[in-house]
Amino acid sequence: MKDFLKELIEIPGVSGYEAEIAGYIANEFRQHCDEVVTDPFYNVYGIKRGAGDKSNPKVMLAAHMDEIALMVKDIDKSGFLRFTNIGGVDQRILLAQEVIVHGRDKLTGIVAVMPPHLLSPEDASRAIEMKDMYIDLGLPCERVKELVQVGDLITFKSPLVSMLGSFVNGKSIDDRAGVVILNEVMKELDKLVYQAEVCCVATVQEEVGTRGAIISTYRAEPDIGIAIDVTHGDTPDASKDDTYAMDKGIVVCKGPNMHPGLTERFLEIAREYRMDCQVAVSPRPTGTDARSMQISRAGVPTILVEIPLRYMHTTVETLNLDHIKSAARLIALFIASLKEGWQEWLRY
Amino acid sequence: MKRLLELLTGTYGPSGSEEDIREVIEKEVREYADEVYTDALGSLIAVKKGKGRKVMLAAHMDQIGLIVTGIDDNGFLRFSNVGGISPFNVIHRKVRFQNGVTGVVSYETELEDIRNLKLGKMYIDIGAKSKDEAKALVNIGDVAVYDAPMAVCGDRVTGCAMDDRAGCAVLVETLKRVRNTDHELYFVFTVQEEVGLRGARTSAYGIMPDIGISVDVTLTGDTPKSRPMAINLGEGPAIKVKDASVIAHPKVKELMIQRAREAGIPYQLEVLEAGGTDSGAIHLTGAGVPSGVISIPCRYVHSAQEMVDLKDLTQAVELLVTILEKEIEI
Ligand SMILES: [Zn+2]
Ligand SMILES: [Zn+2]
Repeated sequence: MKDFLKELIEIPGVSGYEAEIAGYIANEFRQHCDEVVTDPFYNVYGIKRGAGDKSNPKVMLAAHMDEIALMVKDIDKSGFLRFTNIGGVDQRILLAQEVIVHGRDKLTGIVAVMPPHLLSPEDASRAIEMKDMYIDLGLPCERVKELVQVGDLITFKSPLVSMLGSFVNGKSIDDRAGVVILNEVMKELDKLVYQAEVCCVATVQEEVGTRGAIISTYRAEPDIGIAIDVTHGDTPDASKDDTYAMDKGIVVCKGPNMHPGLTERFLEIAREYRMDCQVAVSPRPTGTDARSMQISRAGVPTILVEIPLRYMHTTVETLNLDHIKSAARLIALFIASLKEGWQEWLRY
Repeated sequence: MKRLLELLTGTYGPSGSEEDIREVIEKEVREYADEVYTDALGSLIAVKKGKGRKVMLAAHMDQIGLIVTGIDDNGFLRFSNVGGISPFNVIHRKVRFQNGVTGVVSYETELEDIRNLKLGKMYIDIGAKSKDEAKALVNIGDVAVYDAPMAVCGDRVTGCAMDDRAGCAVLVETLKRVRNTDHELYFVFTVQEEVGLRGARTSAYGIMPDIGISVDVTLTGDTPKSRPMAINLGEGPAIKVKDASVIAHPKVKELMIQRAREAGIPYQLEVLEAGGTDSGAIHLTGAGVPSGVISIPCRYVHSAQEMVDLKDLTQAVELLVTILEKEIEI
């Protein structure tokens, strides 16, 4: 499981450019499900057919495979790259970052920074905005123009690092950890008897507006949706109201974007199996695939399962691997609990 | 092209009131299409039947405008925006209503700092001397557009509503010129793009195309001290990489680049940081429609004097024609 995560975060999969990582995920899914489908936008659907007949629900799980990144928007006269962001990149973490520019070759670049010695005291205390930053490839201008063009992608370099205990850190664990959970759910389901048809979708373009979920939910046409994403882990400086413990179980989100009956049912299963769960509340549509799954076609009752993650949208996103295991186990148990009469849980 | 663009930019058609511009475009396309119809929201669709790929081409025919929200005792009209209207772009501009009534936009001069100017502090003066006189000419809910006839500056032209009548002109010319194609082509002149890609959303659902291509204007980075952007007026149509509404499908983008290279048509690659266009709605239709965008470089977008280079428009037509006459494998 850790190896899968490690390999996943090293494969570039920038929003809108997921072909490569989709192929990799499809290969892994194939070992644990009945059928794998990849759509023209590279959403990957791993389908497992349970023991039930047509009257049993079709459950769609969604975790996004795409990652935030940068994109070349201009090349200046000295060969430095100007760039923009794809998804919510935190400009505070960019300076002096090592990046990979995906031009004709993969080029190593540095987000340029002026040494403190050369800055006036006022400038030294001021935050630099992304529009004023540039990337240095260490190459002469003519060479840069041969190798790089406007629209080329720029990704971060930050492989998975094991920390003490079960913690790991690295880039794009949001939401590659969710993709690993999908894979683990399939394995867990093999140990259980379940009736549902389960469609595990690794979605694209979540970071630019849950776009993959919009089209893949339409294609999958599920009766029940489960979105899997990360939420904020606790840190000393953050408010306890907005963050969740890194060692007290997965987070289940409540709010109008989520189906109350199904959410309650999910928490009940957790209690039944004595598994820890934290509860989050989101009064607005969440920033996850759940927001779009819920309103697909004639509506999909949806729940949202989240994993606490520290330092979201940086290159050192930190997560507790134990949560991947417990999330997968709990989701699989929930699916197995959907037996005859499952429609009852959807009643208002 | 020049005549067509002048006709289209001179015709009234803010978001939600596209009837005049629709009629003008319908006349232009009627004899070149196998079928022409208007959908439930008012988008105009000209179909060229075929057995190959179903391709939806979209350009929005609506334009931004000023909608009347109130009429005061002295006959001044208060207004709100339809689409992206900046207060600074409308100061002392001449505007025109559908019935031909014209007025000038001004602001409360009590204002201490012009930077604080908001639309709420502005009004349209139609020359009326009283509320009753104004009411005889204009109603609450009526929409005014810039009254700025097209003017020629060398190869370039300026005027209002190049966004996106320039795109409409490109589609009309493409429809006239495209011959040897197996594909089924839907030339869609969409409504309500400026208020949230609404026409494209519903017309794409109605058509359910295999591929979507929209044509709209984009910004440039070639004016004095402009924000860096690698788009120059007159250096060819732009092939969109991304904007805020869509990341062009890599295969559609690559196809456009390949066809431009084969035909020797100059092109630029466009990374637009803010703003969106019809493909943003088209690509998320149904189970997804791989989509791209061909953009017309345009200076001063959403002002009364939007400037485009006619060469960029004719080359956009050439590019579209070669795309549509060849194989489209996605
Ligand atoms: Zn996420
Ligand atoms: Zn436009």
